[in-house]
Amino acid sequence: MKNSINKTLNMFPPLIESRLQMVNVSFLVSCILYLVSTSAHAQSPAELSALESELNAISTRIERLQDMEEIEILQRSYGYYVDKSLWYSLTDLWTEDGTLEIGGRGVFTGADRVFEYMNVGLSPVGPTQGLLMDHQQFQTLTTINPDGVTAELRGIAFVMSSGGWGHCYYENDFVKEDGVWKMKTLHGPFNMYSGYPIGWVDNLIYNTWPTKFPPPPDLPPSVVYLTYPSYYVEPFHYPNPVTGEPMPPHDPAAGGVAFGK
Amino acid sequence: MKNTPASFLTRISSLLFASCLLHLASLQVLAQDSDAQRYSNLLIRMNAIKAETRQVEDHNAITRLGRAFAYYLDKGYFGEAANLFTDHGRLMYGNDGVYIGRDRIRELLTRHGKSSMNAGPGLPFGRLNNHMHLQPLVTIGEDGTTAKARWREWGQVGNFKDKAEWTDAILENDYIKEDGVWKIAEMRLFLNFIADYQGGWAALEPQGRNWKTEVGREFRADERSPVRYKPFPEIYVPEFHYENDISAIQTPPPIEFTPRRPDDALGKLEARADAEALKLARVHAVRAVENLQAMYGYYFDKGLWSQAADLFTEDGTWEFGQMGVYQGPESIARGMSVLGPEGLEEGQLNNFPMLQAVIHVDENNERAWGRFRSDVMRTVEGRGQWGGGLYENEYVNDNGTWKITKQHYWVTYWGDYDKGWMRDGIIPVEQMSEAIPPDAPPTVVYESLPNTYVVPFHYNHPVTGEPHDDMGRLARDKAAGKNVR
Repeated sequence: MKNSINKTLNMFPPLIESRLQMVNVSFLVSCILYLVSTSAHAQSPAELSALESELNAISTRIERLQDMEEIEILQRSYGYYVDKSLWYSLTDLWTEDGTLEIGGRGVFTGADRVFEYMNVGLSPVGPTQGLLMDHQQFQTLTTINPDGVTAELRGIAFVMSSGGWGHCYYENDFVKEDGVWKMKTLHGPFNMYSGYPIGWVDNLIYNTWPTKFPPPPDLPPSVVYLTYPSYYVEPFHYPNPVTGEPMPPHDPAAGGVAFGK
Repeated sequence: MKNTPASFLTRISSLLFASCLLHLASLQVLAQDSDAQRYSNLLIRMNAIKAETRQVEDHNAITRLGRAFAYYLDKGYFGEAANLFTDHGRLMYGNDGVYIGRDRIRELLTRHGKSSMNAGPGLPFGRLNNHMHLQPLVTIGEDGTTAKARWREWGQVGNFKDKAEWTDAILENDYIKEDGVWKIAEMRLFLNFIADYQGGWAALEPQGRNWKTEVGREFRADERSPVRYKPFPEIYVPEFHYENDISAIQTPPPIEFTPRRPDDALGKLEARADAEALKLARVHAVRAVENLQAMYGYYFDKGLWSQAADLFTEDGTWEFGQMGVYQGPESIARGMSVLGPEGLEEGQLNNFPMLQAVIHVDENNERAWGRFRSDVMRTVEGRGQWGGGLYENEYVNDNGTWKITKQHYWVTYWGDYDKGWMRDGIIPVEQMSEAIPPDAPPTVVYESLPNTYVVPFHYNHPVTGEPHDDMGRLARDKAAGKNVR
């Protein structure tokens, strides 16, 4: 049976796009009816041009699907590079004038400064014996803008490192230059950092700041906030996927002890 | 995929597919080379391309919905989370029961988040409410208006200076498309455990049949849960929505050749349709492979070694840490049993989430490669362990169904739960089993933490297109006198 299917597929490559599942009896019947009903007329130039427009439209939609997968690869590769301090590969993800802002350290402008942030501030290039620095990239939620050359992503870095636990968000911007997606802005606010022995019940880091360790930033932090146990929500770049409404502001009392009382 | 209901259905649909092609073939022979015939064939192809594009768009819409939901929970946007449900949306919360409608769902989520119905979005001081929704396995219904997805929820919650907890759950969700918008029709959350940080999951006591969460006892559900089960340390396997429908791991078969098209107006359009169809098939394959690896993970989690091994090709290989290589589904299932009996034993946790996918598909939609990672929560001989590692895997498009042809898990570390993965908590990578020896020794010999190494990338750098060569570039920069380390 398998062989005969294969043979048939080889004979008629144009027909094999539909997934097996969709080819059910009703589809079969409609195919035949369609063939019979249309075989009498030849196509007109208008019909051909309509088909061309349809192909153009579908081509754009397929490209958006590709864009999303390419941006996911960019963000997730970033995580694999951080794991092992592959700072050259990491820096190559950025545009020349791209920026980086992590925790409360301020804004670093340009690919060279991204390299410096990592290499001077964090670690030598390559994995360090005995050091764990896993920055797992979770929950990438990507929006390709209608222009097709800019995009945004919300993500999580779930950190398991020699220092303990970390949970940070990303709201990053991407840009397509000469057909290649690149990191334009990495904005990574911390959510929670704790040590290992007792976890996040206490023993927390409330955020970093520009002078916490070198090198110094080019610009001050774009927003000043405290991490857990305080409350900070990094704005969602997207509206509610069902209602289409933009993100409502949080309750001004959020993060207080009297919240909702 | 043998001896399962899924393979039976696949065979039936293959038969239908073949008969459809044969019918079309005979019609095509009758009307060969007629422009009208070519034109109508092209219209049929366009419809198939549109349907498949829609299917991948729907997949992406479902994962967006799931991730948006989790981001809302994190920060106390419970009303926004509830708004992702239909008017009569249902949320089954473990054994607590089913909560129906957006208002009830909002209150349930608010109570679990230790927040307040008298306030707007937010959390009180000291509340941590991280809920990560991971490892989506999405199946879009044939009609394009319903979908199902399995997710893993990993929760990191607590109250400052009071308690810190891990939570673990599987979700099986039903979705419906209303007026062009995907919504959650029903979420079934199979809570596996809520474990105190101190002691973790290994310290959990068995629960009675009528166990409920604290919230479930105070805030009664609208209906009883349709299933009653006991959570960890008992082993409970939530329903798999894809047991009789494996379309989640199917795409068009590989393109074996591109036909030469006549150099007329129609021929140009035909050639473009060929190109778009291939581009689409490769984009679709990325989602199919992501689904396949998730499917593997959900079976592996529960020690369902035979079902996990059935996702491999006949000559597929499975390599885990330094345990060596097992080849072929039967041998692979045997190799997996080194980690525990089929179905696991009571009190055994074996969570291997499949995360951070980087997938590339070859030019013909015939083969794919995937880098993934797991951060493992497990028990070995009753003690809790953390683990981390990377996969570099290979997949093949077997006539429209994606299968694993090579699975290689590289262990970064194992660490004892109570002591952590630092210093005296470190556990060395497992070696070859003497009782169930592999078919071949490890392909690469390495040690895990405290030793560190880079797992080779199957892909070149996404921006430069060059191989990853950080150490070479460091050496060159140092030789050139640059200030790098």
